[in-house]
Amino acid sequence: MSTIPPEIINWTILNEIISMDDDDSDFSKSLIIQFIDQAQTTFAQMQRQLDGDKNLTELDNLGHFLKGSSAALGLQRIAWVCERIQNLGRKMEHFFPNKVELINTLSNKSVINGIDINEDDEEMKIQADNTHADSIFLILIAKALNQARLEFKLARIELSKYYNTDL
Amino acid sequence: MSFSTINSNINKNAGDSNNNTTENSSTTDLLGMDLLQHAPRLMSTMQPNNSSDMLPMANGTNLVQQSATNNNSSSANTGSKAPANEFVRKLFRILENNEYPDIVTWTENGKSFVVLDTGKFTTHILPNHFKHSNFASFVRQLNKYDFHKVKRSPEERQKCKYGEQSWEFQHPEFRVHYGKGLDNIKRKIPAQRKVLLDESQKALLHFNGEGVNPNSSSGALLNESTTELLLSNTVSKDAFGNLRRRVDKLQKELDMSKMESYATKVELQKLNSKYNTVIESLITFKTINENLLNNFNTLCSTLANNGIEVPIFADNGNQNPAGNGNNPTPTAVIHNSTANNASPTTSTVSLQMPNLPDENSLTPNAQGNTVTLRKGFHVLLVEDDAVSIQLCSKFLRKYGCTVQVVTDGLSAISTLEKFRYDLVLMDIVMPNLDGATATSIVRSFDNETPIIAMTGNIMNQDLITYLQHGMNDILAKPFTRDDLHSILIRYLKDRIPLCEQQLPPRNSSPQTHSNTNTTNSNPNTINEHSLSLLPQDNPSTTTPVTPGASISSAQHGQQEQQHQQLFHAQQQQHHNTARPDVSIPSLEHEINTVPHSSMGSTPQLPQPTIQENQLS
Repeated sequence: MSTIPPEIINWTILNEIISMDDDDSDFSKSLIIQFIDQAQTTFAQMQRQLDGDKNLTELDNLGHFLKGSSAALGLQRIAWVCERIQNLGRKMEHFFPNKVELINTLSNKSVINGIDINEDDEEMKIQADNTHADSIFLILIAKALNQARLEFKLARIELSKYYNTDL
Repeated sequence: MSFSTINSNINKNAGDSNNNTTENSSTTDLLGMDLLQHAPRLMSTMQPNNSSDMLPMANGTNLVQQSATNNNSSSANTGSKAPANEFVRKLFRILENNEYPDIVTWTENGKSFVVLDTGKFTTHILPNHFKHSNFASFVRQLNKYDFHKVKRSPEERQKCKYGEQSWEFQHPEFRVHYGKGLDNIKRKIPAQRKVLLDESQKALLHFNGEGVNPNSSSGALLNESTTELLLSNTVSKDAFGNLRRRVDKLQKELDMSKMESYATKVELQKLNSKYNTVIESLITFKTINENLLNNFNTLCSTLANNGIEVPIFADNGNQNPAGNGNNPTPTAVIHNSTANNASPTTSTVSLQMPNLPDENSLTPNAQGNTVTLRKGFHVLLVEDDAVSIQLCSKFLRKYGCTVQVVTDGLSAISTLEKFRYDLVLMDIVMPNLDGATATSIVRSFDNETPIIAMTGNIMNQDLITYLQHGMNDILAKPFTRDDLHSILIRYLKDRIPLCEQQLPPRNSSPQTHSNTNTTNSNPNTINEHSLSLLPQDNPSTTTPVTPGASISSAQHGQQEQQHQQLFHAQQQQHHNTARPDVSIPSLEHEINTVPHSSMGSTPQLPQPTIQENQLS
């Protein structure tokens, strides 16, 4: 397992997209908005899987999907967490780091000031349900999903700052 | 005793007896007529000159035997006056005197005697009283005088008071304190006769030194020791035949075993050398295999790197082809030509942006890549992620391409069945059907269109799988604009967009628009019918098809030829409103169920998974 990138946004990638705004002033912003919508939808789908079907393959696909779009926009920490979800769904990994550990890797820790890092955490209902065969992976994915929500929140703050809009 | 030893003994004995015989018959009269009568048979072989004087042999009785008898009788004359059965009398004396009560003694009823300890009998009694060297020889001598061993069953043997190992012998005339009976104990005859008559001449000669005929007149004169010796050796004659047969048999078996062992040895050596050869070739094979594997890994990593990094291009042409901005994009052409008809477009993401005012704004980014990419390439983008779609199609349009988007593998197949594209960019993980499988299906009817995998999975195994499915190359996600540009350059730099390919008119039958037989035909071949249907706004001045400098130019030439025909067939189809399979503009995600149309589906052989231009 690779280590999570310390920067929330890979500006090399995002700047290239922003440079395309020349002929379409809102191009990059519209992409970001589209991504935000997509991410929220995907998080909800993941949560539904964790609460309902508990289908690891579906979770793998959802992780893969969001990994692609977040990576395309340079949102590398989200992409990293999504890759963990993908690999946990494939049972290729058996571990997910703690939230504090991951936050400590941030190069700019000031970004977490003023936000409740536990705000969006969904209850891990799976933990009570150890009878499921894949409960280990489901618990780890639930943990990763909470991290993904947190990373998403951080990215959103960063992007809002850049676009000077509340995204 | 080995066979050869026996033989040498025989010869020695024979030689001795012959000498004796010759000596006796020629130098002394002691032998008398009795001997001479029986001599000729031997003499004829030994001394032919004398034999002529001999009388013919009167009966079957053997000279050798007589000669031996004679020999013995002479020694008997010089020895003590021993009775013929001195052996038995000696034994009787020992028993009567009870000299060795612990070793040999009369039984209780006195009708037999028993040897209590054969070991002590052999070591103590035999050397002192008899000339037998072992107990078996003594027993044989007893047998000669018609003594019999008293046989016992295993139980009787165990119960026997003389011990299990005791040997009890009896003779009707041999009893305790019964000296008279000894006169009636005589040697048996028939067994010796038989042996003598049956033996070969060599054996007879041998017998000469030992044999004895009790019926001969001189028999009584034999001294005990000689008799014993002779008789014991005579018995061994009996066994000799068996022994010789056994030895012969053993010799044969030994020879056979030797042969077999030799053959086995040879075989083993052969196997050993074969085994070594196999091991060597295995090692060689392993080395070759490892080398191949290394080469293959190098190739894979190179491919992966090429998918990510900007390759170096040797060409240093102009940034933009002249007048590129004036060329309508293919999408525009299609829309123009189908304005009055049903649109064939299967996907609804309308991306055609003809004559973008800022097209040249992109060129600074491509300045590092001093390669000309023509405008107007029509690209099919197969991708399910909206963000990626927007991003990728934006990039493509920047490079002057027109883009059509479908969002899953099934749609990609049905779209490629109906329309031709200069290039296909295919995501791998998609709903309905993954990109790799979709590609392998597309390859069943289209081996020409380059299909590029777009994926985040760039593990070696994945890359190999994609190539095996007929994908031409891999564009690793997330990719930059330059990554995409390098792929476009690699596959399109020597190509002319399908929409620009225009062909001079040529007289031919309308049926020839089928492209199943294009290999040897002129690339510009097109039938009048389809030509007449070309849209008027299609550019009329187009550079002729010129194979580029790429390694696969020949392939491209053929590809382009097909592209031309297909394009015109496409145009024809667009004008033919009666065609049932022309679909109405459909919504995004719609899967076209249009049957496989004839225009694009040449049966083709599977294409090699790795193309030349990838290897270069």
